[in-house]
Amino acid sequence: MEPPSAARSSPLGENRRRSSPPGRVFARLREPWTDRQAAWRLGAVASLVLLIIVLMVAFVAVRAWPVLQANGWISWLGTGGNVDHQLGQMIATGQHPPDSAYHLRAWPLIYGTLLTTGASVLIGLAFSLLAAIFIVEFAPARIRAVVVPAVRLLAAVPSVIYGLIGILVLAPWVGSHLISPGRKDSVQNVVQIDGTGVLVAVVVLTVMITPIMIAIVVDALRAIPPAWTEGAAALGANRWEVVWSVSVRAARPAIVAAAVLACARALGEAVGLSMVSGSRGFSPNPVDGITYLFEPIRPLAASMVENVDAINAPPVRASIYAFALLLLLSSLALSIGGYVAKLPMRRQGLRV
Amino acid sequence: MTRTRRLAAAVTVVGILAFALPAGASAASTITISGATGSAPLVALLAKKYVKLKPGKVKFKLAQGGGEVGVQDAAAGRVTIGNAARDPRPSDPSGLVFYPIAKDFFCFDTNPANTLPNLSLAQAQAIWTGQVRNWEEVPGSTITGTIDLIGRTAASSLPPLVQQLLLGGKSISPLAALKPSDGLVEQSVASDKNAIGFNSGYYASQKDVHAVAFEGVACNLQNAKSGQYPGVRNYYEVTRGKATGAASAFINWIQHSAAARKIIASIAIPLN
Repeated sequence: MEPPSAARSSPLGENRRRSSPPGRVFARLREPWTDRQAAWRLGAVASLVLLIIVLMVAFVAVRAWPVLQANGWISWLGTGGNVDHQLGQMIATGQHPPDSAYHLRAWPLIYGTLLTTGASVLIGLAFSLLAAIFIVEFAPARIRAVVVPAVRLLAAVPSVIYGLIGILVLAPWVGSHLISPGRKDSVQNVVQIDGTGVLVAVVVLTVMITPIMIAIVVDALRAIPPAWTEGAAALGANRWEVVWSVSVRAARPAIVAAAVLACARALGEAVGLSMVSGSRGFSPNPVDGITYLFEPIRPLAASMVENVDAINAPPVRASIYAFALLLLLSSLALSIGGYVAKLPMRRQGLRV
Repeated sequence: MTRTRRLAAAVTVVGILAFALPAGASAASTITISGATGSAPLVALLAKKYVKLKPGKVKFKLAQGGGEVGVQDAAAGRVTIGNAARDPRPSDPSGLVFYPIAKDFFCFDTNPANTLPNLSLAQAQAIWTGQVRNWEEVPGSTITGTIDLIGRTAASSLPPLVQQLLLGGKSISPLAALKPSDGLVEQSVASDKNAIGFNSGYYASQKDVHAVAFEGVACNLQNAKSGQYPGVRNYYEVTRGKATGAASAFINWIQHSAAARKIIASIAIPLN
């Protein structure tokens, strides 16, 4: 933009320039870019994204530093004591707390995250693969015309709505129909179960992430070149064999991509899970058998949301940043893992 | 050319509005408050009345979070006033000023399906330490099955007071499900017939929960006022340094005006 002093120093052009600087700027912007300009400018935008990611990770890591330092890099991920109690103790430690105020062993929260994410992605993967095959290969056109938009709509529903249905409908139903008084009594000296817990959390999370996976896998199956499937059919394969041995195999990269995307969403899901997970830093014990499904948990993202009120206590703040760092690094690892998983297929000459 | 100029004019106008509007809005001074969920209904009523008395002069932003959070928020300068629901402690951040505003009681409460008439100290201790886990073992209980303990997170000042005044110094069992606010404890107790929780007076007096008498004394405002009921605590407004400006005026109004005293008396206990 033209600095005002320049306009003042050339009295001849003063009138014209004062009336139109914005116009001139817009006009210059509208000129077509040369290739070199385009490469530089777009490159700058693209590297800005990279820069933001790097800065974000660095910022979160610096803020999480007190927790990592006070507990040890690895040991804060471990077990020991009651994590809710530890987070609670952090609140009233003043503005300049000693190192001991940062004591944290976050394993129950990490366990809750791994459990909900892992279980829901596995269930979602199986379900979405079968649903996508049906939609692409077997569904009559009329059903497909309804199901595909419905799936996309489901994928766009805000997660808090699933959480609301979970807490108002699913959890009370589980609490009154699936959990018998005897089952409650059997663990009454270990943990209280009320309906919210592993089962409802996994169900809600699965419903949340499956539509996205279906949408991605459907697109991938549709993109298989017809010549491949027709070739298989010409060799005598029936429809199921064609789909299973040709289409699904060729679409593996997309299936991996769907799983990675679903993982990322499941990892970061906070509010919905905070509502239905039982919201307790507890590690359910598989020895409890079926009761395991009803025991409460709380994933990392939900823990961040629930402790946000106490964010002014420095140890709580640092702990929340530590959770954030863990989630950030996990999603980073997921993207890299997804890329690596696709490498062998790329070597086979599949377009990924 | 005219189109671009018009666009530029539009951008300028939006820019000016964006700067000018908040400046105009801040003519009324805003008091931000966070903290105790127990005193939140009382402070909300007081703030509502105060705004009515001084139209256009003052605005409130009320948040909850728990009494301990209120103290920390005030110390960090995040809010103008923190709502505290316990007496000052030597371990509190230095430089805080506690202004007492009222007293309130707190009760054990159960689901209305369980019209437990009374808890003795020994019974309360057995239940809350996790020694007794079934309602069958509690005389007077009208339901059976596991006892669901509903407690508060460490953001609340209430658990230590319950332990001190109603449990004879015994600690609440780690089995208790911890809720972040009085409202959520009330909701949990109201929706689970096996539950027992503890709530500040305002919440325990609601119809959807049953306030349990303690040592033969009914838990209500009247008995708390007379001093018969032991579960009573002080509410404070906390500021970093001495309160100034609008906050000071508001606190002064709460402490000394007849209108504020009337509101306090309706749901809590005014100070002398």
